[in-house]
Amino acid sequence: MGNMEGSMATVAKKTITSVSSIVTTAIVIIVDALLAYFAYRLADLGYIPLMIVFILIIAIISLSFMVPNLKHFRWMAIGLSAWLLFSIFPILYTVYNAFTNYGDGHLITKTQAIEQIQKQTYLPETGKSYTWVAYRSDTNEYLLWLKDTDGTTSIVRMVDAQAADHTLEVVPGQNGIGELDADGAPLTIEGYTRLNKILAATDKNLTSIKFGAADNTIQVRSPSEAAQLLPLYQFDDATGNFTNTQTGKVYEDIQGTWTAKDRTALIPGYSAQVGGENFVEFITDPGLRGPLVTIVVWNFIFATMSLFLTFSLGLFIAIIYGDPNFKGKKLLRSLLLIPYTIPSLITILIWRGMFNPDLGIINRVITSIFGVAPKWFNQAGWARTAILIVNMWLGYPYWMLVTSGALQSIPSDIYEAAQVDGATGWQRFWNITLPLLLVSVGPLMIASFIFNFNNFNLIYAFINGGPPIPTASTQAGYTDIIISYVYNLAFASGRGIRYGYASAISLVLFVVIALMSLAQFRLTNMWEEVGENV
Amino acid sequence: MKKSYLFIAIALVATLLLGACAQATEAPATTEAPTEAPVVTEAPTEAPTAAPTEAPTEAAPVATLRIWADEQRAPVLAELGAEFKAQYNVDVVVENISGIRDQFAVAAPAGEGPDIIVIAHDQMPALVASGLLAPIELGAKSSEFVEEALKAFTYQGALYGMPYATENLGFFYNTDLVTEVPTTWQGVYDLSKQLIADGKVEYGMVLGGTSYDAYPWMSSQGGYIFGLDANGDYNPQDVGIDSEGMIKFGEMALQWKNDGVLSDNLDNTTAKSMFKDGTVAFMMNGPWELGNLRDAGTPFAVAAFPDSGAPFMGVQGFCVNAFSENILLAQSFLTEFVATEDAMLKFYQADPRVPALKSALEKMDDPDLIKIAEAGANAQPMPGIPEMGKVWGDWGNALTFIFDGSKTPEQAYKDAAANIRAAIATDTKGMVNLPGSWQKAAGFDCEWDPKCAATVMTLGDDGLYTATFKIPAGDYEVKVALDGGWDTNYGVDGVAGGDNVKFTVATEGDVLFSFDPNSHILTVTVP
Amino acid sequence: MSKKTETISGSKRTGLILRWILAIVLVAFSIFPVLWIISAAINPVNDLANQQLIPANANFDNFRQLATNPVFPFFTWLWNSIKVSVSSVIVTLSLTTMAAFAFSRFRFKGRQGLLKAILLIQSFPNLLAIVALFSIVKQMGDIIPWLGLNTHAGLVLVYSGGAMGMNIWLMKGYMDTIPRDIDESAHVDGATDWQVFSKLILPLLRPILTVIGILSFIGTYGEFIIARTLLTRTEMQTAMVGLQIFTAGQYTQNWGVFAAGALIAALPIMIIYLILQDQIVGGLTQGAVKG
Repeated sequence: MGNMEGSMATVAKKTITSVSSIVTTAIVIIVDALLAYFAYRLADLGYIPLMIVFILIIAIISLSFMVPNLKHFRWMAIGLSAWLLFSIFPILYTVYNAFTNYGDGHLITKTQAIEQIQKQTYLPETGKSYTWVAYRSDTNEYLLWLKDTDGTTSIVRMVDAQAADHTLEVVPGQNGIGELDADGAPLTIEGYTRLNKILAATDKNLTSIKFGAADNTIQVRSPSEAAQLLPLYQFDDATGNFTNTQTGKVYEDIQGTWTAKDRTALIPGYSAQVGGENFVEFITDPGLRGPLVTIVVWNFIFATMSLFLTFSLGLFIAIIYGDPNFKGKKLLRSLLLIPYTIPSLITILIWRGMFNPDLGIINRVITSIFGVAPKWFNQAGWARTAILIVNMWLGYPYWMLVTSGALQSIPSDIYEAAQVDGATGWQRFWNITLPLLLVSVGPLMIASFIFNFNNFNLIYAFINGGPPIPTASTQAGYTDIIISYVYNLAFASGRGIRYGYASAISLVLFVVIALMSLAQFRLTNMWEEVGENV
Repeated sequence: MKKSYLFIAIALVATLLLGACAQATEAPATTEAPTEAPVVTEAPTEAPTAAPTEAPTEAAPVATLRIWADEQRAPVLAELGAEFKAQYNVDVVVENISGIRDQFAVAAPAGEGPDIIVIAHDQMPALVASGLLAPIELGAKSSEFVEEALKAFTYQGALYGMPYATENLGFFYNTDLVTEVPTTWQGVYDLSKQLIADGKVEYGMVLGGTSYDAYPWMSSQGGYIFGLDANGDYNPQDVGIDSEGMIKFGEMALQWKNDGVLSDNLDNTTAKSMFKDGTVAFMMNGPWELGNLRDAGTPFAVAAFPDSGAPFMGVQGFCVNAFSENILLAQSFLTEFVATEDAMLKFYQADPRVPALKSALEKMDDPDLIKIAEAGANAQPMPGIPEMGKVWGDWGNALTFIFDGSKTPEQAYKDAAANIRAAIATDTKGMVNLPGSWQKAAGFDCEWDPKCAATVMTLGDDGLYTATFKIPAGDYEVKVALDGGWDTNYGVDGVAGGDNVKFTVATEGDVLFSFDPNSHILTVTVP
Repeated sequence: MSKKTETISGSKRTGLILRWILAIVLVAFSIFPVLWIISAAINPVNDLANQQLIPANANFDNFRQLATNPVFPFFTWLWNSIKVSVSSVIVTLSLTTMAAFAFSRFRFKGRQGLLKAILLIQSFPNLLAIVALFSIVKQMGDIIPWLGLNTHAGLVLVYSGGAMGMNIWLMKGYMDTIPRDIDESAHVDGATDWQVFSKLILPLLRPILTVIGILSFIGTYGEFIIARTLLTRTEMQTAMVGLQIFTAGQYTQNWGVFAAGALIAALPIMIIYLILQDQIVGGLTQGAVKG
C-alpha cells in the first residue's frame, strides 16, 4: 500500500488529485442522492427489505470513495453492489423463509390474506340475488336494473346517491326510462348510458359500489349476478381473530392459518413465522433416516467420479495431442470442443433418447453386437454408469482446454533435469506433471466438484433420480443426489410446494457444502496461496 | 481477422468506459435512479362512455387482459382476443408459458400474475387454498356445461374454473390385427396369445406408465387411490393403493409379463413407438396421441376398457386470478366470449379434446375422440386434493418393483401404501381426539373415528386438553386417541388401550371433556 | 504428412497411428450426439425412438415450421438471446476486470475474506432464488419500468449479480502472472492506478477477457430458469426459454422442431468459439495456472 502513496508525492500530482477528488466527491454525492431517492421510493411502496439493500449499496459506494482506508473497494463497488443485490439478498431471503411456512396454502402476506377472507360473502336467508344491467351517467352516477328469480324488476340507485328514494319503478316514460327490452330492462334511461356486459365489466368501480338502502345493500357479484350480500367473516384487529358472522365461530390465527377450535380452517392462509419448525422437521423426517446414506454416498461418488473422469479424459487428450508436431491438432481440438458449445438443456435430452433401453441407438448397436443390452434406466449400476458417461461428455472439453494450457506453462527445465536423472515418461508424469498441475488447477477443480455435487439439472432432466430404491420409505432413486432428493421431499410431499421447508434444507446443505469446501481448500493449500503476496 | 475481434473490442471499449467512470466518477451504471417522477402504472379507471356496439377504433384500450396458456391454447386465445379487442377495445395479451402453475404461484402474490390462466383441474385446489384464485359465477351458463367437468372445478362448494375440455385414456388397438375388441381382460389375453402364436406381434399389449397410464386396468380389478367420503369427495384417510383390486392388478400384470403377453417396458415414449410399428396390438393412451398416430399412418381405433375399467378424467379449464384488477372483466370475457360454441370448436380444432360445453360436444365429429369420450363415460375425476402429490411416486414405483422382481405384487403395493399413509399422517400428528359413540349423536359426520377433525381437543394454558360439545341426552362411550389413530389410546383411569370411558347425559347440554396428558386420565363433566 | 512419416522411426509411427485411431474414437464420442440432433432436425417424423441416423424422406420441414410458426417467433428469441448475452458479457467483463485488478494488485483488509466468500457463496444450493429475484425485479420495475419484469435490462442486471464468481478468480489468477515490476516502474514515472490499469494491464488481458467473455456468454445463453420467470411475453423471451417450452409440452412432441431449434441456437456459440479458439486456449491456461 505504501508504495502507491509514495509515487503520488509531487505537488503537481496533488493539485490534480484534489481537483479530481472534488469531481469524484460531487459525482458520488449525486449518485448517492439518486440512489437515496430510489430507496425512498421503495420505502414509499412498502418494499422495506429491498430499501435496506439499497441503503447498503449507498454505504458501499460512499464509503469506498470517501474513506481513504477503503479506497481499494472503489474498484469493485459496482460489482459488490450487484453481488449484494442479486446473490446475497436472495440468500438472505432464503434464510428468512427457512423460518416461515411459505408454500402452498401460505403463499401470500397477512394483509393479502385478510383482504381475501374479508371479501368472502354470503347470501342471508332473506337476501335475494338478481340478474342485472348497469347504467352510468356522465357524472359517474350509476343505476342498477335488477330482476329477481320471481321475475320482478326494479331499478336501484347508489347508496350514497343524493336522491330521496333508492328505488325507481320500471315504467317506460317515467324518470326518463325508455323502451324495455325482452328481459324487461330499459334500453335507454335519460342522462344515463346502458352498459353492456363487457363495458360494465371494464368499469372497475362497479363491483365496489353499494346499491339500494344503506342497511340492505346490493352488490354486483359476477357478470350474471347481483345480490344482497353480507361479509361472512369479521376481522378483529385487537385479537387478530376472524369471527364467522353467521355462526359466531371464532377462528384464531395459528401459524398463518385462521383455525377454529374444531380444527376447521379458513382459506387462504398466509406466510407466517414458524420458528425453527422446518429445521426440526427436517432433522426428524423419516426420509432422513431412510435412504439418505445411499444417497449421500452416491452423491460423493458422482461428484468425485465426474470430476475424475472429465479431468482424466481432458488431460489425456491434452497430453496426447498437445504435441506441437501433431498435425491436424487444431481441427481435432475444434471437433472435440463441440460438446461444450451446445447448451446442456438440449444435449441431456438427446442423450436420454440415445440411452433409451428399447429403442435408443446405443442399445441397438450393443444388441446387434452382443445380443443383449443393459437396461440403462432400470438397474442402479447401469443408470449410474449412463449418468457418468453423459457427464463426462458434457465436461471433458473444459478440462481439455484448461490442462492443455496448464501443461505448457510447466517450465521445461524441470523436465530436462528429470531426464538427466533418468526418469521415464511415466515417472515424469506422476512425479512432476501431475503434482504441478493439481496445484495450479486446484481452485477450478474445487469449483467443478461443487458444481457437480449440486448438479440438479443433469440428474433431474436425464432420469429424474430413477430407478427407485425398493427399501426406501420415502420416494428416492438410485441416482438421486442430495439436492434432487430434498427437492422431492420439499416439493412432492403430501402438502404441495413447501418453500419454507426447502429453504431450511438449503441452509443445512449449504453449511455441509461450505465446510466440505473449506476442508478442500485447506488440502489444496489454496488459501495459503491467496495469503501470500503474489 | 479483424471481425473476429469485434466482439472483444466491444467488451474492451465498454470496460474502458466503465472503468474510466470508476476511477473518476464511479457512477454506477447499473443502479441509476430515475430523474423524473416515477411512472405509475395504473390502468385507466374511466371507462369509455361510447355506445357498446361502436367502440372507438383508435382510442387507447380501456383495459388489458393477460392470459397464460400453453402452446396449444395460446393461438386460439390470441385469435379470440383479437376479436374481443375489435369489439370492445380491450387488449388481450396471450402469453405462452410452460409450468403455468408454479410460475403463477410466484407471480400472482406479487401482483404480476395474469388475469386468466389455463390449468388442469387437479392443480386448482392448492391454488385456491393459497388464495390465488377467484370464484367464477357462470349463472345461467352453467347448465350449458357438462356436469362432471364443472364438478371437477368445484372446491368447497364454489366454482373456481370454467372448464373447456375433458381428457381421459382410451383403449387403443391396431385394426390390422384386431377385428373385434375383447370386452374382458381375459379376452385381450387370449387374443394376444393367438396373435403372438401367429407371429403377427411380439407382445399383445404394452403399458406406457406405472400409475395414471395403467389406472384403467387397476380400476377394472377394483383398485383405487382414495375412497370417497359421505359427500362424494376424495377422502385422504382412505388410501386404496394396497386394496385387493390393486394387488390383483399387480399379480395379473406380472403374470401377463411372464407369459410374454405384456411387454416389460414401462416407458411412455417406447410404448407409443411399439404400438406405432405394430410390435404390440393394444395400448392405453389419450387424445393427445391421436395426431401422432395418424401422422405415422398406424391403422388404429379406440374402444372402451375391458371389464369396465375406469380411467382418470382430467379437466382443462380457465381460472381467474384473485389478485387481478379485472376480475369482472376476466369473468365476462370467459362467459361471454369463450363459453360459446364457436370458440370451443376452435379449441377443439386446434387440439382435439372432448369439449366441456354441451353444444360443442354435440358437434364433435372426430370418430376416435368420440370413442375416447365413450371410454371415459365412467371416468373418475383425478383427485385434486394436496395429498395426491404424495401418491404419485410411491404408487408408480410399485409396478417397477414388481416388474424388476424386487418385490411381490402384494409387498410392492403394501409398502407403497404404508409410505403414502405415513406421509399423509403427518397432518394428524399431535392430534388429541375423542373417538366414541357420542360423535355421531352430537351431529358430527363420524363415529369412533380417531381422526375426525370436528372432535379434536385443544391444549389450554393449564396444560390440559379440553373440548366442549353439545350432546343430546343418552348413554355414550368415549376414548382418547392420539395422532389420529388407535396406536396410542387411553381408556378408564388413563390405562393405555384400556376400557371405554362411559358417561350418561341426562339432559341435552354442553359436555366438557378434559384430558391430562401426564396422567392420561379423561374427565367428562356432564351438565 | 507422408514425408514426415518417413523420417520418423517405426515405433513413433505406430504411436502416431494409434493416436489417430484414438482421435477418431474420441471424435466419434464427441460429435455423435450432435449428428443425432441433426438427424432429428431433418426427420419429418416426430419420433425420438426408432430414429435412424439418416432418416427416410429427410427434408427441412422442421426448419420451415420453426421459421413460420407465429406462436414460436424463434428468430426473435434468438436475437433476444444474443442481445441479452452480449450485454451481460460486457457488464460481467467490466465488473470482473476492475475488481480482479484490485484483488491482484492491492493488499487491503478483507481481501482474503471477500475472495473466499465469493467462491463459497456460489455453492449455495438456492432452490428459492427465483422467487427472490422475481420480487426484486418486480419492485425495481415498479419505480423504473424499463428495469422491471419483461425487460431485457432487468434480466441483464440480474445476470450481472453472478459476475463476482469464479470469473474473479480466473481473472485475478491471470493478472497475478503479469509481473508487478511493470506497474511499479510505471508508478515511479508518476502514473496513477487508473493509468496503470487501463494503459498497461488491460491490453495484456486480451486472452483472459476472451475466455471469461465466452464462458459467461455460454452461461447466460443457456440459462432459462431465471429468464422464463422474468420474461413472460412471447416477444421478449430468449431462445432457451422457447426451446424449453417445446420440451415442456408433455403430450405434444415437437421433437423435430426442437432439434432444429437446438441446432440453430447452438450456432452462435459455435461460431464465436471456433473464431476465438486460439485465444481461449491461451487465456484459460494462464488464468488457471496461477489460480
